[in-house]
Amino acid sequence: MPPPRTYHCDALILKHIPFGESGLLVTFYTADRGKVRAVARGARRSNSKLVGHLEPLTQARLTIRRGLNLDDVEQVQAIESFGALKDDLDSITNGFYVAELVDGFGAENGANHPLYQLAIETLHAVAGESQPYLPLRCFDLQLLNVSGLKPELYRCVECRRELEPGRHRFSPALGGAMCLDCRPTDALVMPLSLQAVKVLRLLDRSSPGSIQPVRMGQNLKREVQGLLEVTLEYWLDFQIRSNSFLKDLNRESRSAVYT
Amino acid sequence: MSMGPLPAASPSLARLVQELHKLPGIGPKSAQRLAYHLIRLPEDEALALADAITSVKRNVIFCQDCQNLTDISPCSICQEPRRNQGQICVVEDPLDVMALERTHCYDGLYHVLHGVISPLNGVTAHDLKLGDLFKRLEAGSVEELVIATNPTLEGEATSMYIRRHLEGRDIRITHLARGLPVGGSLEYSDDQTLRRAFQGRQEL
Ligand SMILES: [Zn+2]
Ligand SMILES: [Zn+2]
Repeated sequence: MPPPRTYHCDALILKHIPFGESGLLVTFYTADRGKVRAVARGARRSNSKLVGHLEPLTQARLTIRRGLNLDDVEQVQAIESFGALKDDLDSITNGFYVAELVDGFGAENGANHPLYQLAIETLHAVAGESQPYLPLRCFDLQLLNVSGLKPELYRCVECRRELEPGRHRFSPALGGAMCLDCRPTDALVMPLSLQAVKVLRLLDRSSPGSIQPVRMGQNLKREVQGLLEVTLEYWLDFQIRSNSFLKDLNRESRSAVYT
Repeated sequence: MSMGPLPAASPSLARLVQELHKLPGIGPKSAQRLAYHLIRLPEDEALALADAITSVKRNVIFCQDCQNLTDISPCSICQEPRRNQGQICVVEDPLDVMALERTHCYDGLYHVLHGVISPLNGVTAHDLKLGDLFKRLEAGSVEELVIATNPTLEGEATSMYIRRHLEGRDIRITHLARGLPVGGSLEYSDDQTLRRAFQGRQEL
């Protein structure tokens, strides 16, 4: 029996680009099929029934019709449009950040239900949240975990000895913490403070939606974010654009204050 | 790449297929179909197309003021003396200017961004004509900035970006009313919807 011509799926809309006269080529991350691209014909017309439901950062239920080259979006119904996430520029940027990483780590033709759930949970956690730092860093670490890239945070990745209290190093390429006695074989090795190890372990056993607030100084925040960012970009093989956009923006608003 | 049975005997046909394949939304099969269509065209029609492409590349430039596509700079809209020089309407692309001009309800100037901020599609603020906009505003003769980006997430993000950049400046910033459906596109809205959206623009 041939496979049915249409199927239904729940998905997070990641991005779209114009396609043809008035259509959109939409990329979304589905709960059961991984990353999918499909064409929404006529979706750029304001009277299209698809309009609005296919905006990035919308969780939606889609009906997809299989095509020869590209599949078609036949129907779409928004489940959650994360309104609070779209109210201000910082929140939108955090949303873009989550979408960009899901786009980067999510594979086509490979279901990863934990990745889908992590994305949805993170968007709920950061929508309208004035302190999104910990939920986002938790997302970073859990994203590595659900992608099979869980960093080692308890033993040295070289000699396998348990980490002792003190300063250590971190190697994204070798996949985690290293003791000071072991010689790093690659250039991308970063210093790792004891405090940062503790925060990373907290992120490892938490989830973005339920992580407990902890007091962290600016330096520690920067260190943890830096370690995670270098690790994510190491595996992605490109620079996270939503991140540089937010940094630009903060730099600009800072310079605007002082000039 | 599977391009089907391409006649190896005709390198110029292969080249045409290759060039057509580079266009957005044109797959290898469509490129072949288009190429065969062009071959069957009468010679003058095919040459008219080639000439239109050449002429566009030679003559169309960005207007030094509004960044719209034009043959002369400043463009005809920027040069029109009766236009309100104190108003600038920011749009995503040249088709939006045409759509708004059709409504005859705006007589100020425009600024075309040529896109919206969209980090997932690789577009950041630096890729848009935002720097030119901020430079234009620095001259100080502009009283009102009407933001008319599409009511999409990226359009809204771009609008917020402009607002944040201009925070504290002595300039009135308005935004087209959200009479336009979320996720839609100015280019495809009917004139009446556009007219209402313009009339209902609000202080931010
Ligand atoms: Zn060691
Ligand atoms: Zn002009």
